[in-house]
Amino acid sequence: MLEEIKSIKKAPIEEYYVPGHRTCAGCGPALQYRLVAKAAGPNTIFIGPTGCMYVANTSYSCGPWAVPWIHAQITNGGAVASGIEAAYKAMIRKHKTDAEFPNIIVMAGDGGSADIGIQALSAAFYRGHNILFIAYDNESYANTGIQTSPTTPYGAWTTFTPAGPVVPEGKKLMPKDLPKIMAHGHPELKYLATASLAYPLDLMNKVRKGLNAQGPAFLYVHAPCPKGWSFPADKTVEIGKLAVETGMFQLYELVDGEYKLTYKPREFRPVAEYIKLQGRFSHLKPEHIEKLQQFANGRLQEVGIEVSVPVQ
Amino acid sequence: MIPLEKIPFAGTVPSPQTENEGMITGNWRTRRPILDVDKCTDCRICWISCPDSCINVSDTAPLTFNLKYCKGCGICNEVCPVGAISLVPELDFED
Amino acid sequence: MGVKKRISGCVATANAVKLADVDVICSYPIRPYTGIMSELARMVADGELDAEFVHGEGEHGQLSVVYGASAAGARTFTGSSGVGVTYAMEVYSPISGERLPVQMAIADRTLDPPGDFGSEQTDALCCRDQGWIQGWAATPQEALDNTLMYYRIGEDPRVLLPQYACQDGYFVSHILGEVDIPDAAQVKEFLPPYKNHHVLDPRKPQIIGAQMEPKMGPGMQYQRYLAIEGARKVIEEVHEEFGQIFGRKYAPWVEEFMTDDAEVAIFMQGGHSTTCKTVVKRLRNLGEKVGLVRLRTFRPFPTEQVREALSKFKAVGVVDNSVNFGISGGAGVLLTEARTALYGLGDKVSTVGFVGGLGGEMITHEEFYKMFQILKEVAKAGKAERQSYWLPYEL
Repeated sequence: MLEEIKSIKKAPIEEYYVPGHRTCAGCGPALQYRLVAKAAGPNTIFIGPTGCMYVANTSYSCGPWAVPWIHAQITNGGAVASGIEAAYKAMIRKHKTDAEFPNIIVMAGDGGSADIGIQALSAAFYRGHNILFIAYDNESYANTGIQTSPTTPYGAWTTFTPAGPVVPEGKKLMPKDLPKIMAHGHPELKYLATASLAYPLDLMNKVRKGLNAQGPAFLYVHAPCPKGWSFPADKTVEIGKLAVETGMFQLYELVDGEYKLTYKPREFRPVAEYIKLQGRFSHLKPEHIEKLQQFANGRLQEVGIEVSVPVQ
Repeated sequence: MIPLEKIPFAGTVPSPQTENEGMITGNWRTRRPILDVDKCTDCRICWISCPDSCINVSDTAPLTFNLKYCKGCGICNEVCPVGAISLVPELDFED
Repeated sequence: MGVKKRISGCVATANAVKLADVDVICSYPIRPYTGIMSELARMVADGELDAEFVHGEGEHGQLSVVYGASAAGARTFTGSSGVGVTYAMEVYSPISGERLPVQMAIADRTLDPPGDFGSEQTDALCCRDQGWIQGWAATPQEALDNTLMYYRIGEDPRVLLPQYACQDGYFVSHILGEVDIPDAAQVKEFLPPYKNHHVLDPRKPQIIGAQMEPKMGPGMQYQRYLAIEGARKVIEEVHEEFGQIFGRKYAPWVEEFMTDDAEVAIFMQGGHSTTCKTVVKRLRNLGEKVGLVRLRTFRPFPTEQVREALSKFKAVGVVDNSVNFGISGGAGVLLTEARTALYGLGDKVSTVGFVGGLGGEMITHEEFYKMFQILKEVAKAGKAERQSYWLPYEL
């Protein structure tokens, strides 16, 4: 069992995601990867579906993981993890190995978990494999140059949802809510939580809780992307904090079928404060911003927070 | 032409232990982080916020930056609660 | 020693998988291979086989599960038919490129359309360029034996490649045949435990499948090419060893049936060859000099051995049980591969293509008689008037 990390100063010093990767300066997904690896420790196998956390990390013929890592297709992170889990179960039971059962962690982007990868993810959770599936959400298909994914927010500019006279808001569709999809209808689910790189201690402890759960664990991590969202590289953590402070991202755990909030600010800040720092929203008009405010309010209501923030 | 012995078998390479020299990124920097030791309270928020694991902390010495890999993103400067880190243009340095 | 039973190709394959002490099986239902998985599920439930029986979410998922399991160090098995085989296409190259000796049983079936449950080799042939060992079993006994031999070949440290163990849907997968099921001790002697050096083990961490830059491309592909070419020697060794331990010696490349002094021959692979053998025997009784060459290993294709076998005849009819629309020669894959093998012999051997058995229909005795008739005329004329015939419309 992995223990709770009580403070940043008590966090393990060892790095299992070492320096030396081609991710952008200030890359949100890279930061959360480092924290996940730190929390998981050495007895870990990572599965890396295609995405930024594969391509940018393994360019070329190398990688920054001090633990075993295997590439998966963007379609099948959940399935590959299931196979590794089944193999270790069988080999240990049949005395074909004297290894200990490892942490098996999928690190999939929003595409590889909510879109093209959702079938394999759902099936792995239905089957009850002892794995931790992490969906790091940078709200786009970033690796291919920022295209829309099902978690891209309404109103965001991407190369497939550019704003123009015909489509003034850019992205017209509201995003999928992946944690809610996973939370309901998978009887074998053992642990589910959302986390953000802006709250590193919370993230690392949720990773450990997921690994301790001895069954399918799902962690949805908000990972702001300076390139895709158009903000300066040094603002990654600040944007992550603002997302939570405005309600655009909610931090919670699923406990006995109820949403237990991890952190709730005394007062939520208007969504406009989050939006104005990101170039991907620079084309939005007041009516679009109001829609986004309503979206954030709606998501907060779903996890039990009644809020009404006036549009700024 | 890469000799066959240099092609990783089945696309498999050993995992690194402390650094991945296959992708050295220190030359990406345009600004270098500099620590004001007197201001630093060793809260380690900068350390935990570095995407590149480029801050070395210890219980006995002031923190140092791994300049071989540091990309100069500046997150450490942003998150430091006491303003102990400043970013200096890389061109100001001899190395 | 072994036990003799009358079982189908599906049940025979399952028995081989049990004897191979497979660790991870990933199932998904699609006719006609499903019988293999139901039999394996029964074996696991009855305690005859200790394996993780994973219910895949689809064929792409099946191949992905066994990819992960093999990379973790387990011996794995999966299978499919028809459009299931093509649905998993994305994963075949990663599996062979990362040198994971997974085995996939294919009980072949038409693709959609017509999508009927009948047999065609099209589905498995779509995968022929993926770098897997591949061949067809023509009887349930051969299905069992190929399964064991393919694990041995694929897991050999000189090879480390996955394998498609194919059999004709229904004709082999469902029709009962006499099968000698070996005992576990014989299999233990023949098939050592699976050991791979590049596995996912935290005690010896490795990064499998990092992205390679373009300049590594030629070398990576060349390595895989050398692996499948190097498998030829291993295939021959394994067939020899199999014969010694189990008493059944198969020709590793081509099985020749009544080809001594034959003037014309049929060249084909798979279960319809059984029908052809009957016709060959009857024609021989009538004094006709005919024969059959049955291909046992399709990948790596035995170019030299096929040339040697077919160069004896004046005319060869190549039977393709698949659709390969638009292909050179107007018939199918086997025609083009046979012709490539015969390249260099000029006009010495005339070849004619016959596309038959489509939709899962039988290639009838009558059709084989007609084919041999055509070949006789071609042999007499010294050349073929017509390159290909689509059965039954053009025969």
